[in-house]
Amino acid sequence: MSGGPGTRLGRLSGAAALTFALACGGVAVSTAPAAAAPLPMDQCTTTSGVVLAVDFGKWGGPLLRSCGTTPTTGYALLNQGGWKTTGTGHDGPAFICRIGYSGFQGGKQFPTPDQEKCVLTPPATAYWSYWHADPGQNTWSYSQLGAMLYQPKPGSVDLWIFGGTNIEGTEGRPTFSPDSVRAHNSSPGGQPADPGQGTAGGSGGSTASGGTGGGGSGTGSGGSTGSTGSTGSTGGSGTGTGTGRAPAPAKPPAGGARPPAPTPPAGAGTAGTPEDGVTPPGAPEPTEVPATPVPVEPPTAAPTDTPSEQPTPPTDAVAAPTATPAVPGGVQNAPPMADASHDSGSMLPAVIGSVLVVVLGVATVITARRRRRGAE
Amino acid sequence: MTVPDKRSAGSPPAGSPSAAPGRGAGGRRVPRNLHPLAWWTWAIALATAASRTTNPLLLLLVLAVLGYVVTARRSEAPWARGFTYYLWVALTVVAIRVLFRCVFATGITPSDHLLFSLPHIPTPAWYAGIRIGGPVSLEATLSAAFDGLRLACLICCIGAANTLANPKRALRVLPGALYELGVAVTVSLSVAPQLVQSVQRVSRARRLRAGGRKGVRALRGIVVPVLEDALERSLHLAAAMDSRGYGRAGTASRRSRRTTGALMLLGMCGLCAGVYGLLDGTAPAALGLPAFLAGAVLCVAGLLLGGRRVRRTTYRPDRWRAAEWGVAGCGVTAAVLLFATVGYDATDLNPSLYPLTWPTLPLVPVLALLLAGAAGVVSPPPGRTPEPAGDPRSTGDTRSTRTARTTSEVST
Repeated sequence: MSGGPGTRLGRLSGAAALTFALACGGVAVSTAPAAAAPLPMDQCTTTSGVVLAVDFGKWGGPLLRSCGTTPTTGYALLNQGGWKTTGTGHDGPAFICRIGYSGFQGGKQFPTPDQEKCVLTPPATAYWSYWHADPGQNTWSYSQLGAMLYQPKPGSVDLWIFGGTNIEGTEGRPTFSPDSVRAHNSSPGGQPADPGQGTAGGSGGSTASGGTGGGGSGTGSGGSTGSTGSTGSTGGSGTGTGTGRAPAPAKPPAGGARPPAPTPPAGAGTAGTPEDGVTPPGAPEPTEVPATPVPVEPPTAAPTDTPSEQPTPPTDAVAAPTATPAVPGGVQNAPPMADASHDSGSMLPAVIGSVLVVVLGVATVITARRRRRGAE
Repeated sequence: MTVPDKRSAGSPPAGSPSAAPGRGAGGRRVPRNLHPLAWWTWAIALATAASRTTNPLLLLLVLAVLGYVVTARRSEAPWARGFTYYLWVALTVVAIRVLFRCVFATGITPSDHLLFSLPHIPTPAWYAGIRIGGPVSLEATLSAAFDGLRLACLICCIGAANTLANPKRALRVLPGALYELGVAVTVSLSVAPQLVQSVQRVSRARRLRAGGRKGVRALRGIVVPVLEDALERSLHLAAAMDSRGYGRAGTASRRSRRTTGALMLLGMCGLCAGVYGLLDGTAPAALGLPAFLAGAVLCVAGLLLGGRRVRRTTYRPDRWRAAEWGVAGCGVTAAVLLFATVGYDATDLNPSLYPLTWPTLPLVPVLALLLAGAAGVVSPPPGRTPEPAGDPRSTGDTRSTRTARTTSEVST
């Protein structure tokens, strides 16, 4: 091994450099071939599109729902139109550890870092569990596949709730029925599930009552959003809930399906408070969102139209009348938004770290030289 | 090559009274070889620290620290020249990890930066968990590389311990009760250094015989002699140990030997499970401390029982002095600091790759690792080297010399 160390070290570093070059070289920046795209909520019908529902009730938020085109995965659906997830350091991005939406608290992701580090896999007692409801099915089924592998059917609902379950998913089920969040349009563009349809089965329940209850106010906002009258009358949500709740005739079917668990008083309280208030966002919760009275943007606006910070979504909140007992925090529609921008951090630490490593490397080389000279 | 054991005798005569321990006349430290356990403690602690993080900056820092300390403090003994081999193994580990991640390319998110695409082999729906081929993203590759780098660091830590400490002197600190397991421990402790030595000897012999072939074809010419050599030397070592009383039952009855063996084995299993439970954050909490304590109790019982019946004296024992405390302390402090998560965020140790961000450089872990590197300064220079490195011995040396050397290496 005469002269071995030097050449060998050279070869070693060469190989290392090659590996690194292979890893980093040719970074063709292109996006994965995901054709999935976000849609406004009224584009989802009973047979097309997938409804994504995420329950932020644990953080005083509403149950937000969005719509997406179908050939998609649960993961793609949850990472478009302003939605964003974070994985864990241990399991990678496929494990949904945090969920955030640009329109809810400025895109902040929940659970927050001080609640869950997202370094290791979160415990089974507090994590985002994943539920499906195929079209026409009014019970939730616990997902047997991860978000990256599951491909939702057209017209189905994907639900994420935070809490604990057992492995089989028989405990920790959602307290509301799929019908309270699914789309009831028969055709895209917002043919409202007209009240008449509401009587057709429990499925019509929510929208039907919304239609009736929010009718008055719905027209008010309907001026701006003619087509979205279906989704419950932007702005009228408050009144819609208030009035629609009690007398809603369509309630019983839905109510029967769900366990009567009006746990958080938030729902009731909110339904009460905005009743007379004309506050456009029927957003019941202490989200900062309603604080800024953003002009009602046309909900039909193209995706990514809105600047990411604009907390507009609740403006076209659906007047989810079923919200009362069913969805504790109330249901709101979350229109497609621009993704929250992320900064890739500062390069400085990497530079400092590299300098440190190089300094140590130089020290090593000098020591090796001195040793060799000493040996001669 | 003279008897390597003489080098470890480079330590000053055990009784050198006047000067402060470890210091020569002119304030220069007297070269000596540290207690092997000091280096092993240091290396294992550093490995523990490295296992905590996937931050590439910290992992590279670990490697740099290892490289520096090994270069500065290794002796000239044959086993001490093998650190490059461990580096190669580490690089292979990273490469394999990346390769597998590319082939089994699950978990590509829509916002990934794609590097290239491999042909995708469709799998049936019931096999949905595994995906073969398909697009390869920068994020996935980097996460695999960093994960591999962590394992590479662990391998290099063990390699550094093998390089810095005389593996055969490490055997001498074996407690009496473990003598019965002595052969197994010997093999497990010395197999890597012995393989390294064998490879060096065989390739030197090949070069002397002008065996010019390179690459894969040379492999056959190396592998067979290396395996044969390693096996032969292991047997010699076992024989040498046997002649020095390892594995002797002494006055113990068969039953007490059985009890000791069972206690030790159970205790070791408990210790293994306990350490795993303590170090791996995903292991159930009930596994960690209870298993560790139970294992420790069993081990101590076994040691006491075994030690009672065997009395052995040690010739020229390695002594544990200030430098040993310093080296072991550097390593252990680093490990503790990386486990304590005080003064920095746990996410700094595991920077996110989704979305891609530059890794951060948390101050406390960096200082901890540099402190571990200070072991290279704290420890005295290695024992004297009686001759320059390249010695022309080949595998062709006669059996008798080799036996003689082997036995002297293990001299107790």
